Amino acid sequence: MDFLIASERLELAEAVRNFFSGKHGPDVLRRLDAQDNRDPTIWQSVVEMGLPGLLVPEEHGGLGMGLVDAVLIARECGRACLAEPLVESAFVMVPWLNAQGEQSELSAIATGETRPVPQHKVNGWVADGDGAALDSVDPLRNLSALPDNASDDPHLLNLGALMASAQLVGLAEAMLDQAVEYSKIREQFGQPVGGFQAIKHKLADVAVALEFARPVLWRAAQALEDDPASASLHVSHAKIAASDSAYLSGESAIQVHGAMGYTYEVDLHFWMKRAWALSGAWGSRGFHARRVDDAIIGGDQMIGPQHTFA
Amino acid sequence: MQLQYTEKQQAFRQEIREWLATNLPEKPLLTLEGEEGYHQHVAWERKLAEGNWGMVTWPQQYGGRGLDLIEWLIFEEEYWGAGSPLRVNQNGIFLLGPTIMEYGTDEQRERFLTPMAAGEKIWAQAWSEPGAGSDMAAIKTTAIRDGDHYVINGQKTWSSRASFADWGFGLFRTEDGSERHRGLSFVLFDLNTPGVTRRPIRQLHGNPGFAELFFDDVRVPVANRLAGEGEGWKVAMATAGFERGLMLRSPGRFQAAAKRLVELFRRHESDAAPSAREAVAKAWMDTQAYAYNTYTVAANIMAGGSIGAEASLNKIFWSELDRSMHRTAMQLLGAAAELQHFADRSANDWLEGYIFSLSGPIYAGSNEVQRNITAERLLGMPRVGKG
Repeated sequence: MDFLIASERLELAEAVRNFFSGKHGPDVLRRLDAQDNRDPTIWQSVVEMGLPGLLVPEEHGGLGMGLVDAVLIARECGRACLAEPLVESAFVMVPWLNAQGEQSELSAIATGETRPVPQHKVNGWVADGDGAALDSVDPLRNLSALPDNASDDPHLLNLGALMASAQLVGLAEAMLDQAVEYSKIREQFGQPVGGFQAIKHKLADVAVALEFARPVLWRAAQALEDDPASASLHVSHAKIAASDSAYLSGESAIQVHGAMGYTYEVDLHFWMKRAWALSGAWGSRGFHARRVDDAIIGGDQMIGPQHTFA
Repeated sequence: MQLQYTEKQQAFRQEIREWLATNLPEKPLLTLEGEEGYHQHVAWERKLAEGNWGMVTWPQQYGGRGLDLIEWLIFEEEYWGAGSPLRVNQNGIFLLGPTIMEYGTDEQRERFLTPMAAGEKIWAQAWSEPGAGSDMAAIKTTAIRDGDHYVINGQKTWSSRASFADWGFGLFRTEDGSERHRGLSFVLFDLNTPGVTRRPIRQLHGNPGFAELFFDDVRVPVANRLAGEGEGWKVAMATAGFERGLMLRSPGRFQAAAKRLVELFRRHESDAAPSAREAVAKAWMDTQAYAYNTYTVAANIMAGGSIGAEASLNKIFWSELDRSMHRTAMQLLGAAAELQHFADRSANDWLEGYIFSLSGPIYAGSNEVQRNITAERLLGMPRVGKG
């Protein structure tokens, strides 16, 4: 029993974080928003880091890593508010295709040449698909209509929900950071507003929510990797914990920013809107709450202290 | 990350499970906040010690089993899963014990840890004073050196277990005229020393769970001081770290409550509010999240890490989770919630538990203080301002 993420796994995520914080800051998001949302040079740098091949088996030219690794990277994508369709093509489609035994596309995904995107009935749209365009509240999301032959495979849904949860945790962390930084520089009543306990306690609550959402996310990733009967339950738990944290973080951050937070000028809105989008994607809160409810209250999931990892 | 228990861990789980099945008291004990129940709980501590279960992580020479923190968590899971009694010596084994392990001399370890693990000496804490609650650095009670003794004068309050316990530990001002966190020392004292007066305080539920302590020229050997003179604040912060961090509230206790709440909900499902259903599912989710987090902290410590200010996050989370679970139960119980049966713990555990849960956000550093620590030390928010 070892519920700790090995440090070498964290190193890759840290390298990705450093890359994004240097090369993919808010100025890039504003430029993409003003132009046409996607930039081949950003995709190219993601490819150079080997990220599209993270989950592609080594015999197909990938790194052959697991879902825990992918969740760590997806969290960084959320933190950076990455618009490119890395998470859904590389961390949702790759393991799903692989599980289906469809490996013909994998090597082309690893090299970044193709980036298939999931089409699932639980969502009323496809992100970065080819159909008729739909408008998202998130200015950097390219949505299009869902084709009639979309999948309803529960494993695809679980992978999508897991990776949405990972991005939501990263988004929530980034919004908390932005609120903390703003609270240090904005002065009122002769002091930084972050010195007031009302502001401190609000952001401390976000820190608490995140502290207890992260391990649920790790648990869900490992569950989907090991694939016990309870995997769906753990994914739903993660989706609820992550989306609740993201809503809380967004609402707290906008409040701390005051009227500035209600503008398009302040960076926060990019993260907040992505959080709204991903909270609803891959199964609403009600969908996941019902799965938890069915397993815990109505089902035969073993519960209690002796069954922590059931 | 690897989520299977080893064969050794599974065998250990089986061993404690079987021991508890054979040795648990047949009837639930009376509350440990009352005199009769206190003595029942002390007898239970001694029974645990006979089975060598007093504190499994301690070295064998002090009455432990030399096991690691994962095995401790397994012990706790089985302990609470079986519905075992509260630990009357919690202040000793989970707070003072680790502190003595870290700061005590060999002589002190020998003298204090062995009888602690054996359940022979039950410990009370003596932190707060009438003027030093959340602001613990405002302590005034003095311990002035006189040869190889300290002479203690002053008053402590909200001293858990002190109505009946054998020994106490706390912070005292050993440098006369010193201020705030300077000049304090961490001193252990026999509660039966001449000059110590205990005045039990009735708690919310009516039982004397804590006491005021009055010190009137109480002579305590200097050999009872942990670490150096004037280093008390540092030692107390380490103790508080244990308290808020890993050991004060192991997840098993909350997971057991969540399970009982699910069962209670099933019995009351037909007339339960829709919001109760969500609260019950959330109880399971949050207690699981707390358990995962604890496993992470344990693995971190085993890998050489330590608990820092993130202990504050823990304390906020479990205390508010506990209150919320018990509130949900009170609401499910409806008119039955008010019926008191403190003489028979099994009859209305939820009421007693709810009352106790109201103290969680207050003791071990109020949650408001924890939120300040979180904001200032973890998030790096400014320490200026009082507003």
